[in-house]
Amino acid sequence: MPDFNPTQYAVPLFVVAVLAEMLWAKFRAPEAYEPKDTLVSLAFGLGSTVAGALLGGFAVAVFIKTYDYRLFDFGPEWWSVWWAWPVCFVLDDLKYYWVHRAGHRIRWMWASHVNHHSSQHYNLSTALRQTWTGSLTFGFLFAVPLVLLGFHPAMIAICGGFNLIYQFWIHTEAIKRMPRWFEAVMNTPSHHRVHHATNPRYLDRNYAGVFIIWDRMFGTFEPEVDEEPIRYGIVKQLGSFNLLWAVFHEWIGMIADIWRAPWKHKLAYLLREPGWSHDGSRETSDMIRDKWRARAGQAGLPTAMSVADRNPIAEAGEAA
Amino acid sequence: MDLLIQTAGSLVAILALAGLAWWMKLGGTPALDSEAAVRSAAGEVEDGFAALALTCDGKAALARDADGRIMVIKRHGNRFAGRVLGPEAEARLWRDRGKTALEVDCGETRFGRVFLDIPDAQAWAEAINRIHGRHDA
Repeated sequence: MPDFNPTQYAVPLFVVAVLAEMLWAKFRAPEAYEPKDTLVSLAFGLGSTVAGALLGGFAVAVFIKTYDYRLFDFGPEWWSVWWAWPVCFVLDDLKYYWVHRAGHRIRWMWASHVNHHSSQHYNLSTALRQTWTGSLTFGFLFAVPLVLLGFHPAMIAICGGFNLIYQFWIHTEAIKRMPRWFEAVMNTPSHHRVHHATNPRYLDRNYAGVFIIWDRMFGTFEPEVDEEPIRYGIVKQLGSFNLLWAVFHEWIGMIADIWRAPWKHKLAYLLREPGWSHDGSRETSDMIRDKWRARAGQAGLPTAMSVADRNPIAEAGEAA
Repeated sequence: MDLLIQTAGSLVAILALAGLAWWMKLGGTPALDSEAAVRSAAGEVEDGFAALALTCDGKAALARDADGRIMVIKRHGNRFAGRVLGPEAEARLWRDRGKTALEVDCGETRFGRVFLDIPDAQAWAEAINRIHGRHDA
């Protein structure tokens, strides 16, 4: 069985790329970075690696056990079945779409995934702002169907690693649009900027990892509107650079809500979408979007220039 | 052992990159120093928040909408963050050498207290404390 973790090898590339983007920011968009925010993002990345190593054992044990009940068998040398790799990669990306969508629509999952969205900046360091508490959710169960199909857990882990590496470069404002064919099929900086936005029109959109086709298929695609400046982060910005608060704030909020809620609503605070409340005192992303639509319609867009518009190296192509 | 070495190496890289961002003076300090800036920031804090009255001192601002809701906005790094104040909010006045400053506590420890050097501090303090029935600004 190959012992290979692609993410580990990509770390030096991440560091060099962040450095390069900082140099770009220095001359083109100094506001794209903020030192404290960068420090928190990178600390998130480091902590996530440590947390994964310490807490990921349970998911691995479940996968290994599940593998005994696989429907198809690629044989003892499963890694040599070349066509299984691209198939596994695509199916793993489909799995990523759904686990990511659940990460935004189920508060238990959001408590963990919110970490990745807690920065008000969108740069390559934001990509490394990964959760510490993924092991405390049921996200790993989304991979069980792949294991049952016969894909070895190591193969899924390697494909997942490449998926994560792909997603690194799309966390930037330095690239406006990729060529039209690429925007049509692949997740890109433009598509993913939408995903990180708190503008009502963009909330809970573009969940894709590598292939944007999943959002187009399942009705969650939203193109970036050049005329509307994007605001990044979460609906209720943290207003704090405290790392531990950033890691655990939604867990604390959720547990407090469950504790205070009437018995019949306790489970809903765990499983309903973020922003849901039993007394209607808060707003979900759908409610925020509906209010925005009612107020502004689709017209009256602001005309400020995005950072990418000011980047002379960015391609001025059209959205797919 | 490998994990320990990787962690130590990553920590060094992290501190180096963050230090570099600081050394390169990335970020900047946007100001809440005009009606337009406050309105824009208020709209970021809560989409559609339409300020009828507002005040600011460059670093922080207060805005009140038609429903009487009051929002406090502060500079956070080189962005803004804010809260619509609820019953747990409190305001205090600080007087020193003829100057009056307003301290606003939205009730969230981690959000922190916001200090404003504004001319109409007394009136805003009273308005904030009225939210939960206090009148001892």
